[in-house]
Order: sequence, then C-alpha cells, then structure tokens
Amino acid sequence: MNHPLDLLKTTEFVVTRTGLALRGAAGTLTEAGFPGFDSGKSASGGSLTTLLSLNRSARTTLNRNRNRNRNRNRNRNRGGSPDEGTANLSLEPWRERMVLYQMAGSWTDLPVPLPPDPEQLRIETAELLRKQVRLHTPAEAQRRDEIRAESGLDLTAYLRPLGIDDCGDYEATVGLVLLVLLLCDEIGLSYKHRFDVPRPSYIEPRLRPFLANPPHASYPSNHSFQSFAVAFVLSRILPEHPASSELFLRARRVAENREWAGLHYPSDTHAGHDLARMVTPVLEIVCREQMLAAQKEWI
Amino acid sequence: MLDQANTQPGSEDYADYPALWHLDSIGVLSHLRDGARVKEGRSRVAIIDTSVAVDHPCLAPAVNRDLAVDFFSNRLGAFPYYQDRKLDATFPNLATDVADALPACRDLLNELVDRLARGSAPHVKGVAPATSPDFSTHGTAIAGLVGARPATVSLLPGGGIGSCEVPLPFCGADPFCEIIPISTNFDPDPEVLIMAFLYAEIIDASVILLPRSIPDPYRIVPELGGDADFIDAVLPAKPNAREHALWRELPQLIISVSLKRPVICAAGNARERGGIYPANLADADNGVISVGAANAKGLIAGYSQTDGVTLLAPSNDAERYDRLSVRLDVQDARFPDRVCPAQNGNAKFSYFEIISTDVPGRHGYSYSPFASEEPQGALREFGSYFCRFGGTSAASAIVAGFVSLGYSMDDLRIGTGGLAAKDWLLSKSVQIETDDGAFFYPAWSGSVNFPDLYGL
Repeated sequence: MNHPLDLLKTTEFVVTRTGLALRGAAGTLTEAGFPGFDSGKSASGGSLTTLLSLNRSARTTLNRNRNRNRNRNRNRNRGGSPDEGTANLSLEPWRERMVLYQMAGSWTDLPVPLPPDPEQLRIETAELLRKQVRLHTPAEAQRRDEIRAESGLDLTAYLRPLGIDDCGDYEATVGLVLLVLLLCDEIGLSYKHRFDVPRPSYIEPRLRPFLANPPHASYPSNHSFQSFAVAFVLSRILPEHPASSELFLRARRVAENREWAGLHYPSDTHAGHDLARMVTPVLEIVCREQMLAAQKEWI
Repeated sequence: MLDQANTQPGSEDYADYPALWHLDSIGVLSHLRDGARVKEGRSRVAIIDTSVAVDHPCLAPAVNRDLAVDFFSNRLGAFPYYQDRKLDATFPNLATDVADALPACRDLLNELVDRLARGSAPHVKGVAPATSPDFSTHGTAIAGLVGARPATVSLLPGGGIGSCEVPLPFCGADPFCEIIPISTNFDPDPEVLIMAFLYAEIIDASVILLPRSIPDPYRIVPELGGDADFIDAVLPAKPNAREHALWRELPQLIISVSLKRPVICAAGNARERGGIYPANLADADNGVISVGAANAKGLIAGYSQTDGVTLLAPSNDAERYDRLSVRLDVQDARFPDRVCPAQNGNAKFSYFEIISTDVPGRHGYSYSPFASEEPQGALREFGSYFCRFGGTSAASAIVAGFVSLGYSMDDLRIGTGGLAAKDWLLSKSVQIETDDGAFFYPAWSGSVNFPDLYGL
C-alpha cells in the first residue's frame, strides 16, 4: 500500500439498512490486506459491520423546521411545559460550579472594556429618559409585559424561537438554559463587583425605573450577559437550527428591555454581550454534559 | 442485493449503496482511485462554518492547524492549536486590496493585520477559542466532504475481533487539499463574517466555502426587498448605525473577494427561489457560486430548486407532500398511514444519503455505544466516525472539493480568480434535463453516474 488513496482500490464502505459496513472491494478484508475481521464471529459474512446510529429521522438534520414541527405536534397533547425541565436542576449544579471555580483563571479576567466615564454615563441616560417616556405609550404595551416577565426566570425568549416553549420533550435543553443562567449570574456578579458602576437612576434622578433597582452594580448587565450566553451556547449545539440567529436578537431584546426599564445603560448591554461571547469557551467545558444531552434531543 | 420490486411499502427495506456514491456520480472516485498522486497542499480551502474535529483520522492530515482560526469567541480571532507557541504562521496576502473601497471593512482589515503579527499571542488577552470537537458536528461533516483522506488505524480488541489494523476507505472530493477551518458564531453581527472573509483573503485561500446562510436582517427574507422600515418593525431589536454600515459593506466585500477566488455557497434547503443570502449574490459577473442539490437519481432534490443556482451537486433527498408535488419515500414506516394520490412523484424520491466524517465518540450526528472518552491512537468502533449528512451544505462542500481538485491537479491554475474558476467549473459540468427543469452537474471526466435509478 503506497498511498492512502490506494485503500479505495481494495476496501469500501457500504451503507446498509443497519449501519456502515466495511468490506473488501473484491473479496474479503483479509484478501484486501486486513486480516482479523473474517472470523466466524464477525458480522455479515466477512464484512465488519458497525452501527452508524443513523436512524431514518437523522435525515431531517437538513431541515430543522420540519423536525421541529413534528416534535411540536407530538408533544402538544402531552401538556408539557418548560417548568418540567427545572427537574434537571432540582439539585444545585454543584459539579458544574466546582469545575467553573477550578478554571476560574479562564473567566475572572476576561478583557471586558472598562466602563464609560461618568460624563459618558450621563449622556447615555439621556437616551434612557427618552425610552422611559415612550415605554408608557400604547405602542410599547408588549414591551412592558416582557419587562415584567423577564424580571423573573421567564424562559420564553429563549425557548419560543426554538419552538419548545410548550413542549415537554426537551428537558435537557431547558435544563441547559437554566444552568447557563445560574452560572452566568455568578460570573456576572463578580464583574459587577469589580467595576461597581452605579445604576442609571443614581446618575440621572429623573429616571424612574419601571422596576426596582436590583441590589448590585450596573456594569455589565447580567440580563444581557445571561441571555447572550444562552444564545451562544445553544448556537454551539444547534448551529443548523433556523432560529440560531434569532436567539441572539431575542437576547438583545431582553437586554434592551432593561434599558427601557431604566435599569441599565446601553454600555451595560454591550459589555454583557461581549462577556457572553468570551465566556462561551469556558461554558462549553463546564456545561459539556448538559450540552451533549441537549444536543441529543435535536439530532 | 435487495430486490426492491418485491418489498412492501413501509417495510423500510432499503438496498445497500456505496458510501462514496456521490464521488462516483461526479466522476471523481475513479480518478482518485486510479489516477495520479499529486503533491498535497497545493490547493487551500477555507471553510467558514463551525469548528472542526481536527483529530479525526481522516481529517488530521488535511487540516492546517497553524492557520485554523476561530472567530466565535474573539472578534480578532483565536488560534486553537498553538498551545504555548506564539503566532508564527505565514500569511501570504496581508497587503490585499480587497477592502480598499470599503471603509468599515478596511478598518477591520487593519485591525486583523495588526493582530496577525508574527510573535503575537494565539489567544488575544486570554480569550480562548470555542472549538471543542464535541460541538463541531457540522464543520466536521463539511470538512470531510471537501478533503478527507483514507486512513488506516488500530482497532482495539473486542467483540470477537483481536487487535488489528482497520482501513477507513473514505475521502473527500480533493484529498490533496489543505483545509483551513475558519469558525464563526451565529450572532447576527456582520463583523464576524467580515473578519472571516478578510482572513480567507489574507491566507490566500484557493477556494472559500460558506455552507451556511448569513443572518443579515435586511436580506434574510428577500421577498421583503428594501422595506427597511417594515423590517425594523419586525425585528425584536434593531441594528445600530455601525451594524447598518457593516451589513451594507459585507455583500460588496464577498463579491470583491469572489473576483479573486471562488466563493462557494449553499443555496438553501427550503426551495428558496434565487437562493439564500449570500448564495443569491451569484451572477455572471462575480465568482460567487451557488450550489443546489440533486438526488442519486439525477433529479432536483425535494428541498432544492434551480432558480438562481449555478449548478446542482449530489446530496440526499427530502420528501415532498404539498400542493405542488407529492414525492414520498414508499419504504418509510409512515408511508402506509399517508394518503397518497394516484398521481404522484414517489418514483423520483431517492433514499441515498451523503456519508461524511463525524465527531468521533459519543458526540456528533452519530453516536458511539461507549460512554467513555475515545481512546488515544486507536478505535473501538468506526461507526461514530462517520455520519449521514445532506442538504445544500453537503452539495456545496462537494463542489468546493471538486474545484479544489482542479487546482490540485493543475487543471485550474492557482490565482486565476473566481470568475475563471466558475467558468472552469461549468466547463467541467454537464447539463441535465429533467421534467422539473435543467441544471448543470459536475462531471470530472465528462460523464455522470446516478446509482439509484430504481423506479424511473
């Protein structure tokens, strides 16, 4: 055998109903120069058969819309809800936290830009004042509802683009979203503590936040950081899903809603996005098992 | 051999087929099997997609690890495989003029060129790349269709088989090429894709492959045209002024790059008329090549079409069950439950799928039965190393490999530009007429072979 391509002359892969079979092109594998497979114990009379795990539904990987719709139809009658997914986090994620803090050096000093100076922050509040006025117009009624819902652990923004907000068969995906939100909450708080930027209403008292100011610093926005982290992580496991990019737009909506609520500067939003992007390599290690489990619900 | 004529509908009786049928179909397989062995690395294929499982035994010799870059986590790119070394790769086209008329892109190019200085850190400011092989499914399948090499690996004893060598007789369309993974994220941030194209330009890629869409909010639904106000109203969050400027420049950059090297794009998997963005940039005046999919019967795949498409290439098929067409897989287990009109196109459906490389082990599109990590330097099974694949992603990857093979074999001169590459590609294609339309199809030696002619 002089060149790897010469293998094509003597052996071949064949797709069978049950998987991929390795065969000699013109005889047995032994005759092809690969002894050891042609015993009575090997399958398929001289070929080595191995399962490809290629069930027929795998074909739908090219079209996630169709796959998703089938799943939705299947689940609608079962009355599933995202809340079922919280069962995956009924225990505190101690293993993941342990790994996270073991690799603290990888995420405690990521190059998040320094926050704006006080004058720039004051200028940013001018835009927040304009949003404050518009928020109370009829045109922004939906945004007001979103802001209220997103102040808690509402997962609609992340699950609805994927079409699984009313399904019960995606426990691992929902569990992964919750895990990312929890871990990023802790990571984000460490950055908030470092930069200690006051909330916009401290800089501009004419801002009347739609919700009460949370009891921690402003920069970066944890809503932004968490939401974008969910988008980055989900797009890592579902790059072909048509909603992969939509998840980022929804994340941005969640983050900007906090600006409309008078709780965050636009610079907080941007920093949250950048931190989420940079922390994804850490999350794909810390959340590896949950990401793999979630991926299997889709492939 | 299964006698398909005597199988019952819905019984899932599918006849065997060769895993490399797609290469045979375009005339490449016999050329690779029996033709000349040429020098490797003459052609460089930049794949803008997800990351790649570079340790796959069929991909390890193909991937240039020094040039592989990741823009997922770091806007200026992280080099995943340098470990403790400083950057020491050669970037042959740092002085490119591709962004001269695009001010925002030019600024980004300057940043990127500075970042690529010899001796710089592979991970800028400590930001690691997001390139875990666990989550590199799509890119791994794509890379395999472009440039995988056959390999011989050790099989660990088990299942009645002793320790021995096992061949993996799988290859891409150009097993002589060099693959450069340029991994990106799916954030609708134009800067990421601009950086990816600029990097492909800087490394002087022979071929650029983009087997995905670009989420430009103003182009992703072409039917909405230029109604920016309506699109803004639809968007959950609006792009800012800088993003607007970058979105405007990106298609100009792609076209500008395509004049220097072919940019091969997937046309879309939902019969999008004219193709998805940026495949729909393809026209006679640029080097963008839009690739649709044909099935193993030589017919337009159920999810593809020919409008605006440069050519079709082998891929899997999809059932149709709509007002325009009924084309069902009669062997599918659900078939007996469906109401199938007497006049149907079921005979046009092909169950043949594309086989490609997959993330080894319990991850990826196909899973290993073993829960533990893959052993180093040996396999326990090879099923998880390969997967079924399809769509216009697969077709575009096959075409990218086909064009690259032209460069590798010196049939197509390096540096001829995207338009010349497109002309060459069409000259190496044959026109196929079907009831559903005509299309070009790659044919290395002037003839094609469709292995699944049953029922036609």
